[in-house]
Amino acid sequence: MRPSKLEIRRPKTVGAVQVTMVLWRGRSIVLLTACAMLALAARSNAQLPSGPHLKVELISEQATSSPGQPLWVGLLFRLEPGWHIYWQNPGDSGEPPKVQWDLPAGFVAGPIRWPQPIRLGGGSVVDYGYEGQVLLMAPIQGSSSRNATSLPSLSADVKYIVCRDVCIPGKAHLTLSGPAGGDWALWRALFEQTRAQLPKPAPASWKLTAVSDKQHFILSVQARSQVANASFFPLEPSQIDNSGPQEFSLTHNGFRLALKKSDQLTKPITNLRGLIVLGPGRAFEVSAPVVSR
Amino acid sequence: MRKRFAAPTLIGFALIALSLGWAARVGEPAPDFTATDTNGKVHKLSEYQGKFVVLEWTNRGCPYTQKHYNSGNMQRLQREWTSRGVVWLTVISSAPGKQGYVSASEENAYLKQANAAPTAVLLDPAGTLGHLYDAKTTPHIFIINPKGSLIYNGAIDDRPTTDLTDVNGAKNYVSMALEEATSGKPVSNPTTRPYGCSVKYAD
Repeated sequence: MRPSKLEIRRPKTVGAVQVTMVLWRGRSIVLLTACAMLALAARSNAQLPSGPHLKVELISEQATSSPGQPLWVGLLFRLEPGWHIYWQNPGDSGEPPKVQWDLPAGFVAGPIRWPQPIRLGGGSVVDYGYEGQVLLMAPIQGSSSRNATSLPSLSADVKYIVCRDVCIPGKAHLTLSGPAGGDWALWRALFEQTRAQLPKPAPASWKLTAVSDKQHFILSVQARSQVANASFFPLEPSQIDNSGPQEFSLTHNGFRLALKKSDQLTKPITNLRGLIVLGPGRAFEVSAPVVSR
Repeated sequence: MRKRFAAPTLIGFALIALSLGWAARVGEPAPDFTATDTNGKVHKLSEYQGKFVVLEWTNRGCPYTQKHYNSGNMQRLQREWTSRGVVWLTVISSAPGKQGYVSASEENAYLKQANAAPTAVLLDPAGTLGHLYDAKTTPHIFIINPKGSLIYNGAIDDRPTTDLTDVNGAKNYVSMALEEATSGKPVSNPTTRPYGCSVKYAD
């Protein structure tokens, strides 16, 4: 999607955000719709959108933390239409959100599990990130000697850059306080939906190689099942040209993708790392050994 | 006026570059170009043979660019290296209607206000020069040696953030490359990943 094209939809955008919130908090329909109308009325066409263009909150999957079990927490980003934040490899521009956890003694945080991203932009600058809503989840591990307790008091300092046709940096100090109205089912559902969008390990039956020629990596996958189309999202920057075409073709025993090398790639690499995406919810993390031709 | 002369020349170079599958690659001749600055002066890269040339892509609305101008870092680099004989060309490839697009007089006023000191600011609203070098971000830096070869393509430094406080203590790739190259040494980090906002090319 070309973000700049969204400018004409600006007045509508405000309404849409409010509508999203209506869906989120079913009880407040009338009030929020009224807010949307006021917001619409208050904004002139010429005015640039102001404010942070996203809402972010710290949520958890469980109401209590159990000893020995990780407590899954997450940064829930809800973005205004047309705005995006970035994946762990942002692509050509931007940067991923960064979080600094403030945890009680004895707790440690694991790495963020990044859901399947989308490709952003279309010209010579291509990025990877998220639009709409995304939950960046991470496990918090407590000491195993503790008894089951209510939610530990934890907070997070988040820094991010949010972009449409322009970019705006932002930060937030977030604390974990539980869902509005104690509606844990809602938060649990968000974690379940997000898990379904996390990249999975490549199927054991896949055999991968990346043949390196002067300008390309030819990523070949031997796969048992039929694959109609695939795209590649590089986990490492500067391996492939993000804006280059990805030529998909079927082979007698699977499929392959011709990926243009990045101009920033100056040394040979041993593994091409990334996601092979076959469709929504079907992203597989791969590390293909590179062989020279 | 500018377009009548410069644009066809640039498009010609761009077409040649595209047809050969070039980008600006370190170690290879830097693509020649002709472009007009904010004072109407025409600059041709090949006329700077014998000098080091820095190309700095900019967009003053971009927070990554602002980090280097609001901290004074970019102006400091421009002053230091132009005083040492380097030609510093700032390039604006924002298309009309996009962030960072400016008229020549607006840019001249801004240069004064920001106390910036490039040799010149090249206006590239058609994105021809940007595409010729495949400039991705603001900032994005290219350095060309006196023989006309590209010796650096990448980021300004090693801190890909918008935080002003990250300027201090960052490894400045531009100064490193120029220090090395001007004393006859090979550039130790000739290619890095540029960081910043996307260049606001026309759709």
